[in-house]
Amino acid sequence: MASIKLENVTKRFGKTTAVAGLNLEIKNGEFFCVLGPPGAGKTTLLRLIVGLERPEEGKIIIGGEEVNDLHPSKRDISMIFQNLALYPDKTVFDNIAFPLRQQKEERAKIRERVEAVARQLKIDWLLEKLPSQLSGGERQRVAIGRAIVRQPEAYLMDEPLSNLDALLRLEMRVSLKELQTSLKETFVYVTHDQVEALSMGDRIAIMNAGVLQQVDEPGAIYRYPNNMFVATILGNPPMNFLKCAASDGNKELLVKHESFTLTVKGDEVRTALGGAVKEGGVILGVRPEDVKIHLEKPNGREPGGRVNGGLVDAEIYVTEPLGNETIVDIKIGSNVIKVLAESDFAGAPGRRVWIGLNEHKLHFFDLETHACAYHASERDAIELWGG
Amino acid sequence: MEQKLFVKILKFILVIVVTVLFLFPIYWMVTMAFKPYTEWTAAGGKIFWYPTKPTLDNFRSIFSKQLKMNPIAGTAIRPVVNSLIVAVVGTAIAMIAGVLAAYGISRYKRGGNLPFSLLQLRMFPPIAIIIPIMIMWAFLRMIDTWFGLVVIYGVVTLPFATWLMKTFFDDIPHELDEAAIVDGCSNAGAFVKVVLPLAKGGIASTALFVFILNWSDFLVALVLTDRRWTTIPVHISKLQSALVGQLYGPKAALGVIAAIPPIVFGILIQKYLVRGLTFGAIKK
Amino acid sequence: MAKIVLDHLVKRFGKQTAVKDLCLEIEDRQFVAILGPSGCGKTTTMNMISGLLKPDAGKVFFDGKEMNDVPPGQRGVGFVFQNYAVFTNMTVYENIAFGLKIRHRPPEEIDREVNEVTRLLQIRQLLSFNASKLSINDMQKVALARSMVTKPKIFLLDEPLSNLDAALRNIMRAELKKIQQELGQTTIYVTHDQVEAMSLSDRIAVMNFAVLQQYGSPHEVYNRPKNLFVANFIGSPTINFMEGSFGSGAFTLKDFTRGKIPLSKQAMHAAGQKLTSQEVVIGVRPEHLKIMDRGSEGAGFQGEEDGGSPSGLLAKVVSSEPLGSKTIVYLHPDANPGVILKSSMGSDYRPAIGEMKELTFKEKNLYVFDKKSTELAARF
Repeated sequence: MASIKLENVTKRFGKTTAVAGLNLEIKNGEFFCVLGPPGAGKTTLLRLIVGLERPEEGKIIIGGEEVNDLHPSKRDISMIFQNLALYPDKTVFDNIAFPLRQQKEERAKIRERVEAVARQLKIDWLLEKLPSQLSGGERQRVAIGRAIVRQPEAYLMDEPLSNLDALLRLEMRVSLKELQTSLKETFVYVTHDQVEALSMGDRIAIMNAGVLQQVDEPGAIYRYPNNMFVATILGNPPMNFLKCAASDGNKELLVKHESFTLTVKGDEVRTALGGAVKEGGVILGVRPEDVKIHLEKPNGREPGGRVNGGLVDAEIYVTEPLGNETIVDIKIGSNVIKVLAESDFAGAPGRRVWIGLNEHKLHFFDLETHACAYHASERDAIELWGG
Repeated sequence: MEQKLFVKILKFILVIVVTVLFLFPIYWMVTMAFKPYTEWTAAGGKIFWYPTKPTLDNFRSIFSKQLKMNPIAGTAIRPVVNSLIVAVVGTAIAMIAGVLAAYGISRYKRGGNLPFSLLQLRMFPPIAIIIPIMIMWAFLRMIDTWFGLVVIYGVVTLPFATWLMKTFFDDIPHELDEAAIVDGCSNAGAFVKVVLPLAKGGIASTALFVFILNWSDFLVALVLTDRRWTTIPVHISKLQSALVGQLYGPKAALGVIAAIPPIVFGILIQKYLVRGLTFGAIKK
Repeated sequence: MAKIVLDHLVKRFGKQTAVKDLCLEIEDRQFVAILGPSGCGKTTTMNMISGLLKPDAGKVFFDGKEMNDVPPGQRGVGFVFQNYAVFTNMTVYENIAFGLKIRHRPPEEIDREVNEVTRLLQIRQLLSFNASKLSINDMQKVALARSMVTKPKIFLLDEPLSNLDAALRNIMRAELKKIQQELGQTTIYVTHDQVEAMSLSDRIAVMNFAVLQQYGSPHEVYNRPKNLFVANFIGSPTINFMEGSFGSGAFTLKDFTRGKIPLSKQAMHAAGQKLTSQEVVIGVRPEHLKIMDRGSEGAGFQGEEDGGSPSGLLAKVVSSEPLGSKTIVYLHPDANPGVILKSSMGSDYRPAIGEMKELTFKEKNLYVFDKKSTELAARF
């Protein structure tokens, strides 16, 4: 069990910077996921931790000790490669036994340990076979067996499930999570699949182009993304973005879209969005599940003056029935946003509808930097005015 | 459809012709080795397509102390032994150095533009440099010694061995080395315990090629040896008589004998020439 | 615009049969997806429709005309391949204009059509760019435009979105659907992604191992799958399957210690009709399989006649996936930890790992499959 810390780590390959000034702390015993698109630097991150790459700058600290100069074979960390790297000319038994043999354990002990691990992973009946004789899922488990057999300080996994078919991936995800819970060891798991990261991680680190975007619990990142990149990478369908104008009135701040206006009251919000006002615009973010479609025209005026009960006039662009739910693409002004609706949603393209946005779940992003300026919540007084 | 059939027949005929062209010399040599004197001399202008009275005379004569028709040549036993020693040691040198160099080039990407530099070396005709080498060897008293020959054989085939082995190492995914290192091996340990076993096929086939190159060398052996360390090709060239001209029968016999070690060697390492060693290690 | 009829198509490659006796009718202006796992025969089928492959038996008809001997170039089909095949030495304009130029159209017409199609796809601004400099996403649009501009009667698309990143795939799916609705071309779309098939198509042809499994609307294949394969392939997360036996008015599920589900009279009757044996597989979709605390109000199996009887179907929570808009909970039935069940719960639901929960679902949401024939026996 060990904590892993990266202090200001930079790694370059020729002219490309794979990882830039990275600061990260992975806690003892946690299941830590690293999520990002291809080329984000996730594999490089793992290779730096295990020692197959040396950082140009910064320190790698494992269990409190700086290990920059320590050879990978001595770091006591196991790694499962993306393409497994099973020794093809060795039997399953020899593959799993290999790390123990490097440690010069006694033969009897090795046999005992390998058989125990194989039983745990339900591959004990395959011990005499070669990797080429196994199915994808079986090879996967041999790779896991080889990693856990010597009980290292931490386990690194590089997209271990990406080559499996959907059903097997699901089973393996559950098994891996169960394994980590029972072993109580530090797992660092790299993936580009946001569902995997959300479902498995105690905490997630989001990376893009070598730069760490956000590190937090999955629920927190989903609810409070730091910037538009993070907001897009989690959630399917991803968050909708609407470009709006921002101006300051007397009692309130106005966020104006061609089809609607938001009035924003409260000092905290107004200060946070001050920069947006200066720039004259802001990007409004709202998740598909936080938009509601009304098929009938709402009645009259509310007390307080909102026409249409505060809903926005819009049109159905296209509907995507997925069986368990329907994704409805709605045209608001010149934008098209995606909304999640029930599986029996009955609305044809071109039909006029009325849209409500959950004012407590809106996000405001800076026009230029795309960083998040403010996340709305229940405490805020934000009102949607259609038209 | 008719067109296709015509083309098929044409291709078939072509294949037969080429095969015959290539196999005929071998057939000729083997049959000649068993022909009696009367059949391998050209006198009379009659061509014997196969030995009508097969005999082992030729074989006996090359191993006799003094050849019937050429007192100078001497027995072929020594040349056979010499060839074996020199070819094996020369191959060993090329392989040991070549394998190590190839691994370094494959994994650590040093060595500049290897293929190009190797090609340059091979393009240099040996005949152009053999005289200066002979002079150097004479100065170093390395003429007619086993190590004089072995050094040249090793050095000349080294680039070829390196190049071939590099391609074999390239085929072994470097993740396997890395997995071994992560599993606790030192860099050298990973090489010996994981990569070398997987490269067995490559090493075997490269060694075979190099051996054949060394075994069949004529020019270098001719120039750098005298009496004690002549090799088979040189000895064959000595099998002539003033009276009769080229002693084809004995030459053929020795040729047949010379063909045996490469064939035996090849059969011995056949199981290492199996492809598909890396299948299953890496997910595609 | 054309009606396509596939009449008993067969295609073999050596000893393997890639497509077995396929009969399919695609109406004019319809968007039909051919869906299935890799190797099921979908690409082979499309290649026979396009003319790139000749069927070993059977015929292809466009609008009643037999097309078996008509070469691909003359069938009036527009293609979009998986890897786009955009000409990298030409500009975007030249790429798109290519098909029209070959057909010797006058330059004004070419210009007009290219502008129209690029306006539709929102790539007008890229017209003068060299095609090699485009992003993958723009290349895909150019490939689409190139095949659309010749106004083919039939559109054939082979997994055109598979090279796009997830975010863009979502956007392009909606755009593609909108374009097809506006232009109205008969479209055949080959994919292994059931989400794409469901979202885009009027009808889906599900294939597996060279055989057509089911041909129906998204609603039909989702709610009335013909067999276990279709039920499992369509829907994400995949349907839950529980094996059991049918007899004495109830289903007995073998993975649970108390696995008896009593059925209403109509249900019993309907089930008894089609079942050839006592062995069944019960299917329940994750969104219909709720989990509640043991013995709590409303928990358990709910037949048509009563409000709910504690069924005693207990399962242990193994993990949960908070996906933002919903939470998927994974469970093992209490008598068989080798089976994984999925329940789709609300976005704030956070169960404790290892807790035993009671499965709650309604009779009307059951799919009953005959275990031997794998076919759907009843759907209440």
